[in-house]
Amino acid sequence: MFHWLEKNPFFFAVGVFIVIAFAGLIEILPNFAEASRPIAGLKPYTVLELAGKNVYKKDTCIACHSQLIRPFKSETDRYGQVSLSGEYAYDRPFLWGSKRTGPDLHRVGNYRTTDWHENHMWDPKSVVPQSIMPAYKHMFTNIADIETAYAEAVTVKNIFATPYGDEIKGTKEAWEAYKPKVLEEAKLIAADMKNQDVKDAVAKGEIPEIVAIIAYLNRLK
Amino acid sequence: MQSNAALEYDYTVAKLFTYTAILFGLIGMLIGTLIASQMAFPELNYLFGEYGTFSRLRPLHTNVVIFGFTVSGVFATFYYLGQRVLKVSMAESKFLMFIGKLQFVLYVILALGMVVSLLMGYSTSKEYAQMEWPLDLLTVVVWVLWGISIFGLIGIRREKSLYISLWYYIACFLGVAMLYLFNNMEVPTYLASGGLGSIMHSVSMYSGTNDALVQWWWGHNAVAFVFTVPIVAMIYYFLPKESGQAIYSYKLSLLSFWGLMFVYLWAGSHHLLYSTVPDWMQTMGSVFSVVLILPSWGSAINMLLTMKGEWNQLTENPLIKFMVLASTFYMLSTLEGPIQAIKSVNAIAHFTDWIPGHVHDGVLGWVAFMIMSGLFHMAPRMYKREIYSKKLMEAQFWIQTTAVVLYFTSMWIAGITQGMMWRAVDEYGNLMYSFIDTVAVLHPYYAIRALAGVLYVTGFVMFAYNMIKTMSSSRELTEEPQFRSPMA
Amino acid sequence: MNSLMIKGLIFAAVLIGATFAVVKSMHIDLSDPINMITLIGAVAIAVLTVGVSIKYINQMKTDKATGELADESWDGIGEYKNELPSGWAFSFLGTMIWAMWYWIAGYPVNAFSQIGQYNEEVLAYNAKFEEIHKNADAATLQEMGESIFLVQCAPCHGETGDGLSGKAQDFSSRESKEQVLAIIKNGSDQLKYPMGAMPAGMAQGADAEEIAAYVAGGMKGEQPASFGVCAGCHGADGKGNGGTAPNIAEYDQTLIEHVLENGRKGAIGTMPSFKGRLTPVQKKALATYLSSLKS
Ligand code: HEC
Ligand code: HEC
Ligand code: HEC
Ligand code: HEM
Ligand code: HEM
Ligand SMILES: [Ca+2]
Ligand SMILES: [Ca+2]
Ligand SMILES: [Cu+2]
Repeated sequence: MFHWLEKNPFFFAVGVFIVIAFAGLIEILPNFAEASRPIAGLKPYTVLELAGKNVYKKDTCIACHSQLIRPFKSETDRYGQVSLSGEYAYDRPFLWGSKRTGPDLHRVGNYRTTDWHENHMWDPKSVVPQSIMPAYKHMFTNIADIETAYAEAVTVKNIFATPYGDEIKGTKEAWEAYKPKVLEEAKLIAADMKNQDVKDAVAKGEIPEIVAIIAYLNRLK
Repeated sequence: MQSNAALEYDYTVAKLFTYTAILFGLIGMLIGTLIASQMAFPELNYLFGEYGTFSRLRPLHTNVVIFGFTVSGVFATFYYLGQRVLKVSMAESKFLMFIGKLQFVLYVILALGMVVSLLMGYSTSKEYAQMEWPLDLLTVVVWVLWGISIFGLIGIRREKSLYISLWYYIACFLGVAMLYLFNNMEVPTYLASGGLGSIMHSVSMYSGTNDALVQWWWGHNAVAFVFTVPIVAMIYYFLPKESGQAIYSYKLSLLSFWGLMFVYLWAGSHHLLYSTVPDWMQTMGSVFSVVLILPSWGSAINMLLTMKGEWNQLTENPLIKFMVLASTFYMLSTLEGPIQAIKSVNAIAHFTDWIPGHVHDGVLGWVAFMIMSGLFHMAPRMYKREIYSKKLMEAQFWIQTTAVVLYFTSMWIAGITQGMMWRAVDEYGNLMYSFIDTVAVLHPYYAIRALAGVLYVTGFVMFAYNMIKTMSSSRELTEEPQFRSPMA
Repeated sequence: MNSLMIKGLIFAAVLIGATFAVVKSMHIDLSDPINMITLIGAVAIAVLTVGVSIKYINQMKTDKATGELADESWDGIGEYKNELPSGWAFSFLGTMIWAMWYWIAGYPVNAFSQIGQYNEEVLAYNAKFEEIHKNADAATLQEMGESIFLVQCAPCHGETGDGLSGKAQDFSSRESKEQVLAIIKNGSDQLKYPMGAMPAGMAQGADAEEIAAYVAGGMKGEQPASFGVCAGCHGADGKGNGGTAPNIAEYDQTLIEHVLENGRKGAIGTMPSFKGRLTPVQKKALATYLSSLKS
């Protein structure tokens, strides 16, 4: 019976395709409309936070950190409330991770602060002596790519109807006009930091990566 | 039946991919050993500034071993054995020869682009799909070219019915094509924002839970269609060919194949247990993972039974040793996986080192063992020289076997311990351990794993050396060996 | 049993034994169902893999290849028309039937919900620890406090509560001189005491220095006259006038509760609020523990 198929490569390939495509359809499609709805009150990431999220991706923090609090008492005691689907509606891509070499970060904004992150990212061992997390000193000098983050905001607004305000538009002028807003947000963070080079850079209108990533980490609540 | 005496097969493309398999295997495993060492000795994070941290290197490790080493191995073995089981030579078609070479050239460009862009930090942060969109496009081209080669060769075949290995190569081609496309749907922000920001950057078409579903539909099946399906293709050819034994049971081959095709895709949601995807989907992933033991073990058992009565081959031929042990490690990972997919077990296993443990008994003991034995078997036929050293191969076998055992046992203990420590509460109901306690306790296991890495890489260097010597200076053969590979 | 099988099973036993020993040494409760199922799973993986694979490998020693060969041959590779190994065939059939049953009947009837399971876990937890928490004596509170502290607070305050060389509050004493000076200069309005805010500039220059040194010194020795202005709110003993303003002489429960509820941003940095993350007993336990830290 099957020998016939093995002599007809075309039907063989079609057969394989149908058999493997089938499961995908049943598993994935039914959930699609449902799971992209934001929970009430969820705000899209600010441009500075998006820039921080891109630093998180660039340096692959996901290699060690999850962002998914599972429904176990031990996890909610350690990290906070169970994660809900609607909280991720603006996460493109999702950043749940698959390995906790370090702790979960989905609500780290609730229990860590700017100055702590500053110390920790500069030298994790200075706050957690046994830490095996690498130091990210280069984030204090690398300048964050805010324009790309802005472009991302424009993209998700135009294509996925993410609710950003009218001032976010895909033109050079709109971007120039928006820049000072991002800088204002960065200044608030830099004010809570101690590193003088970072403060100077922000005063000059440049935003080091560390400021962006702290904005992002503080937002994780 | 008479085999190939009259036909001269053309191994140009198979040889090219053999070189990249060796090269990327070496690079990927060196990086693997480095990141393993960084977890034990974090000071090693600072060897190359921003480019040397664990987090920049880890995706480089996975991408180089998967898209560099494994995929090269898949292409090399296909271009070798595809001709032979179809009884046509690449030399018979100028067109296919051109496609094969073009595929290789583009593949090398892609691989370089991948290494450079990941080091620079261009990453979408989706596991096993980190490459940004321009490289995705190139990947699609390379893959389509491979498809043309597969179906082109099949189109001009002399052997009417497709050998088992080809079933699996076809499935590999189709599965990866479908899943890769869906998972990498992304919008380049530069194009969508009227030319603002970086041209490399993109956002995923899917968000949150949906993105997770698509990602692990791919992620799990990348395992299926890259680490399993084409490797099964290899063992179905190389083991009987090297041993001269006939396949134990056609029926078992058949049911295992269609069983695997049907069941594998359902299991993807075992990566999302206790997440925010609907309960029924998670349950389905768990249930089908358990079913999956059988079609997986079916192939392994078929291979072991093929060797019935051939104990002397097992003791005398290190290549047979590699392949028999590969089947066993395949059985280990395809039982361990399903058990880790049971929800209660996953509550402990997920997020811990037990998962990388499971991963590496598959990739080191099964994938890499099979690719190395395949290439070893091919070398005397492709270069018309005997294998340079049997002793070296024998030593390599024991060193690497020790390495795999050290790797998976240390991570097994580490993961189970860590998972249980995260959950532990003291007599008053408070968490017993701070997070850093659960990190510090792992140090000895991380050190053992780093040692395992050093051993495994040592074995791989021996493999590379043996191969290069075979290519260049080993004794020449006058006649192609029919079964057992000659070795000095 | 032959020697290969025995060696294999010894390997499995050693691996399981080692896992068990390591887990036990971390004081893990193995009667917890999740832990138990995991260990059973681990045993199953090791034993079944070793057992089944060696069963077949042994046949390489003892059996002969037999069967009817199919007509085809690919590159010299033949194929037997042997039947399926029956154990394999029945297991496959069995698991397929089980999967279908689970899908169509098992799962829908059982109606598993992971949030439901979580709620049950929390209820069971509360029932189990309610008694202990209600009647906790000082020693219990102290111990509880320490373990909570190590998990929740040590990343900032250090394992010993020393503030990690000035990166957070050092619990071996109350406020440092710099902190007091900063508060005198800037005032403070974060902790939500009944008294409300503390105005800025309550003292200046040498007075401020003198007061700060006195407060930072643990309010020992002679009280400077200038402290009178503070005493109005914090009490002459600095203990906060019965909870209307913060106790600046030592850590007490009211203070800890206000800090944990509201967080505090000061001269050192920002302390996050733990609102909703700790139960009343846990806060009490932390207060007991912190009070015990002063040198
Ligand atoms: C090699 C693994 C590793 C990498 C890579 C890594 N971390 Fe960590 N991280 C850890 C470990 C281990 C801890 C726990 C010990 C500590 O606090 O340092 C931790 C802790 C943290 C914490 C504190 C969370 C808490 O609850 O205490 C934050 C925030 C954090 N990391 C952020 C990051 C960011 C952002 C990146 C990427 C730029 C990153 N980490 C990369 C391993 C890592
Ligand atoms: C008008 C009443 C008032 C006076 C006078 C006053 N304080 Fe306060 N003080 C408060 C209140 C209320 C707070 C809590 C502020 C808050 O909510 O952040 C406080 C907070 C403090 C704190 C911080 C305690 C903590 O743990 O956060 C210090 C230190 C302090 N006062 C010292 C002084 C000193 C020294 C003086 C005299 C120079 C003084 N206070 C005068 C009302 C007063
Ligand atoms: C993210 C870091 C962080 C964490 C976590 C943290 N603290 Fe703090 N805490 C601080 C910093 C910084 C200060 C100093 C604020 C200042 O005065 O500048 C502080 C101050 C305090 C103070 C003194 C406040 C005052 O008004 O005098 C107390 C008490 C305290 N912390 C208790 C705790 C307890 C208990 C926990 C755990 C449940 C905890 N903290 C967790 C950072 C932290
Ligand atoms: C029956 C077959 C298998 C099943 C049911 C299975 C199941 C699983 C499960 C449950 C996980 C853990 C998910 C998590 O909790 O994070 C996992 C992870 C993984 N497995 Fe398997 N596994 C199987 C076979 C294999 C094989 C043969 C290989 C490789 C050769 C493999 C490679 C991987 C990889 C790479 C991961 C890690 C994915 C990640 O990055 O999180 N698996 N598998
Ligand atoms: C010298 C040998 C190797 C060593 C020492 C090694 C080491 C490592 C380390 C340390 C990690 C990260 C684990 C973590 O984050 O906790 C890792 C991940 C991974 N490695 Fe390897 N590796 C080796 C070879 C290979 C090979 C040959 C392959 C594939 C063919 C491979 C595939 C993977 C995969 C898929 C992951 C991701 C697993 C996950 O996300 O769960 N590795 N490896
Ligand atoms: Ca992973
Ligand atoms: Ca991609
Ligand atoms: Cu999987």
